[in-house]
Amino acid sequence: MRDTLKIFLLPFSGLVFGIFVLMLLVYFINSMEIFQKDGLAIYTTNQWIAAEDDPQKESYGVLAAIYGSMYTSILAVLIALPLSICFAIFVIDYAPGKLREWLVIATDVMAGLPTIIYGLWGAFVLVPLLKDYVMKPLYNHLSFIPLFSFEPSTGYSFLSAGVLLGIMVTPFASAIIREAYRMVPFTYRECVYALGATRYEATKVLIGYIKPAIVAGTILAFGRAIGETVAVSLVVGNTFNIHPSLFAPGYTISSLIANQFGNAFIYRYMVSALFAAGLSLFFIGLAVNLLGIYILRRYRYAG
Amino acid sequence: MKSKLLVGLAIVTLAVALTGCMQPEKTVSPASEQSPAPTQTTTKTSVKRITLIGSGATFPQPQVEKWITVYTKINPNVMIEYTGKGSGGGQNDFKQGLVDFACSDPPLKESLWNDLKKKGQPLQFPIIVGAVVVVYNVPGVEKLKLSNDVLADIFLGKIEYWDDARIKELNPDVNLPHERIIVVHRSDSSGTTKIFTTYLSLVSDEWNDKVGAGKVVDWPVDKQGRGVGGKGNQGVVTAIKNNPYSIGYTELAYVLKENLKMAALQNKAGNYVTASPETIKSAISRVSMNIPSPYEGYKEDMKSLLNADGENSYPIVAVSHMVVWEDYPDEGKEKAIREFVRWILTEGQKDQYVVAGYVGLPGDVAEKMLKEVGWV
Amino acid sequence: MLGRVLKEKLFLAAVFILAFLTVLPLFHIVFSITARGLPVLYKGGVEFLTGTLPPPGDGLGGIAPAIIGTFVLVFLTSIVGLPVALLTGIYAAEYPNSLIGRAVKVLLQIMVEFPTILVGLFIMQVLVIPMGSYSALAGAFALAIIMMPYVAVYTEEALREIPFTYREAAFSLGLSRFKVVFMVLVRIAKKGILTGVLIGMAKVAGETAPLLFTAGGANRVYFAGIDKPVGAIPLLIYNLVQQPYENYHEIAWGAAFILMLVFLAIFIPIRLSLKEVKL
Repeated sequence: MRDTLKIFLLPFSGLVFGIFVLMLLVYFINSMEIFQKDGLAIYTTNQWIAAEDDPQKESYGVLAAIYGSMYTSILAVLIALPLSICFAIFVIDYAPGKLREWLVIATDVMAGLPTIIYGLWGAFVLVPLLKDYVMKPLYNHLSFIPLFSFEPSTGYSFLSAGVLLGIMVTPFASAIIREAYRMVPFTYRECVYALGATRYEATKVLIGYIKPAIVAGTILAFGRAIGETVAVSLVVGNTFNIHPSLFAPGYTISSLIANQFGNAFIYRYMVSALFAAGLSLFFIGLAVNLLGIYILRRYRYAG
Repeated sequence: MKSKLLVGLAIVTLAVALTGCMQPEKTVSPASEQSPAPTQTTTKTSVKRITLIGSGATFPQPQVEKWITVYTKINPNVMIEYTGKGSGGGQNDFKQGLVDFACSDPPLKESLWNDLKKKGQPLQFPIIVGAVVVVYNVPGVEKLKLSNDVLADIFLGKIEYWDDARIKELNPDVNLPHERIIVVHRSDSSGTTKIFTTYLSLVSDEWNDKVGAGKVVDWPVDKQGRGVGGKGNQGVVTAIKNNPYSIGYTELAYVLKENLKMAALQNKAGNYVTASPETIKSAISRVSMNIPSPYEGYKEDMKSLLNADGENSYPIVAVSHMVVWEDYPDEGKEKAIREFVRWILTEGQKDQYVVAGYVGLPGDVAEKMLKEVGWV
Repeated sequence: MLGRVLKEKLFLAAVFILAFLTVLPLFHIVFSITARGLPVLYKGGVEFLTGTLPPPGDGLGGIAPAIIGTFVLVFLTSIVGLPVALLTGIYAAEYPNSLIGRAVKVLLQIMVEFPTILVGLFIMQVLVIPMGSYSALAGAFALAIIMMPYVAVYTEEALREIPFTYREAAFSLGLSRFKVVFMVLVRIAKKGILTGVLIGMAKVAGETAPLLFTAGGANRVYFAGIDKPVGAIPLLIYNLVQQPYENYHEIAWGAAFILMLVFLAIFIPIRLSLKEVKL
């Protein structure tokens, strides 16, 4: 007997695949031009020369954007990691029932909150706060350390973007870590405490069991952070700048695209350059996500 | 309960969408005669709504917004939506056929003009005169003079601190702090940038060689980490307001509105002037505004208005333009566009409708334009 | 001995503080937006919800085009995206072991995290330019691509949770697989599926990046048609934040307040009725 259900449903799933593949194709095809012209220089140089008269004079290099995307996302993850782990520990081990529920709901709300609201708050509230209470003092006293060596001027910086992103992606990491930590069998806990461990030591051991989940959560948070556009573009400074300091302004791939695509068609190669930048984002995100899913799959606890 | 919520939501959305749809936007109007009276169009005939979509430069935006507000009040059946996204964005949208009209500060390039001609006949009209001013935000500094080479060197990144000897030399009575200069520029493709960088290329050979002119340029200060990008003239003004010790360039109207401080620039005669209606008019009167016919907009040379002669002329004066098609597939839209342009070039130039920071086109230019296309 | 006790205390303090810091921003955000946004609504009154964008420096006007736009977009997105999403979710639930079924699940996971700006770019290239106009339709398609994985995943999970006995009972009545799924299982999982739909809608109502190059934005025109540019609240906020005018900033806070309110009003009740939420 024919399975009419499968036949009926298959085209729709096919459609989903189709759209995804089409997207990939569109990006590849549109990036071809700049690859043919400059090869991989689009990814390895830092400049944005949009010559109107002579298309040959146009030269694009998005290294600064790639640098910025990586920098801010890694920073975000570094912030998200301790926060999510401690949050998970607190919620599972120490929070009383009702509080636990509301804490979890709070992080879920944070995960779904429209990112423009984060952006608005970030631009008007977070940035001034960071500039006056964190960046200026650190610069005034510790500027010999490369991380703090840039004079904070506007407050728009890798730090602001990293902190904002960290706040935004923590709920994602914490959901996975929390779930995994909850799944640690109760016998393990009993076991560790029976050996006379303090809470700190016990927790250290138990967290050790969920390392794969922590890795997976981190990676997925990274994937989210690197793809974020509007919130970051309002706080990162939007300048082509490669600098080690946290306080320096910079660019990310997604905010570059958001800022430049609107005028790209009057230039011969800019559209292609931006699609190439998008392609790099695509691949970084894809690679990171696949890695995360793979790890999670391998270590998913029963249930 | 949830299904009721969903159904309710759906009904509300449907209702809203339908009310919107119920005002038909297309018109199939027979060529109804428009009375030549410039301030009143025959509102009694049409209930049919026309929507005109435009985008482009933020340089003329305050003026364009004012015109739209006044015009749509007089002609309630026309709705006009203008999105400021930079001259480049406007040219982009116009080329892709995404908007009905676009505003651009620099005249369109010949290559772009030729691309457009493949789709139809583009027409380019000058609409208003404005000035690009250098704004700064240094607490305690009320007046500032900047010579041309100091200006260029600041933007080249060669002068790093506000109390640099060369700035001090020009402003002996001013208390300049020892702070790094933050240079604010545009992050989008901007006609204002084009005007400003063209001027810098004129007055500084080094700028001309190293950076050049364009709607988007590679700002040397970015690599030094002292550059900030703002989106649109509004973004630049925001950045300047928020950052002490910053300097940037923007259109005069934005400065007046936000009460910012302008630097006095050195004009061709060697005098330091700030931008004002008088200094702008002085510049225009000295220059024969070689505005070509709307059919050949690309021939216009923006440089002719820069660095004008005259003791009291402001050096960075520019005209902003509107680009439209000669023909539109929709008759109603075609008429509406022509009416709008005509109104701008006649009524819109009157003092009562010109926004502070802009100057109307010199007398005969507007008339000439309209005669060329036969829309008088 | 003292070392261990000290570490213990430090540890507990750290855990408590960091956990608190994790959710602190949420409260700060809600507080800031209410503190700056609510007064704007008072000042603006009903006109804030019905008027159009005022000139710079000149009062509050209204954000009606953006509100209408958001409604229109969510509505269109649902029409375009829900059927595909639901059916894909059903497929993944019904044939979890087939090659395509597994591939679909992986694909959905990937698409949930996909950078939204790239979707917008894709739709611009593929729909906006050929169509010759920014439009609500283009915005809806972009949003549909983003909404789809969420709804599909919720649908799949909801179906999978139905106890096997229901399925057996339905089959034992002689129903074809098609009918079992659509007439029995989907009805049982209705609540879970609906939850997914509403969460998807809430999510896309707050999206900005995919609309940047597709919807076009509208400040003065209430609604010009689905093949014409349309506004959206997040898009409006994004544009206003980058301008220097005080009144525009006020409008942005007011609009953000409305957006936040709507989002919370939809999200929290749903979340309360669920055990867990898939992100």
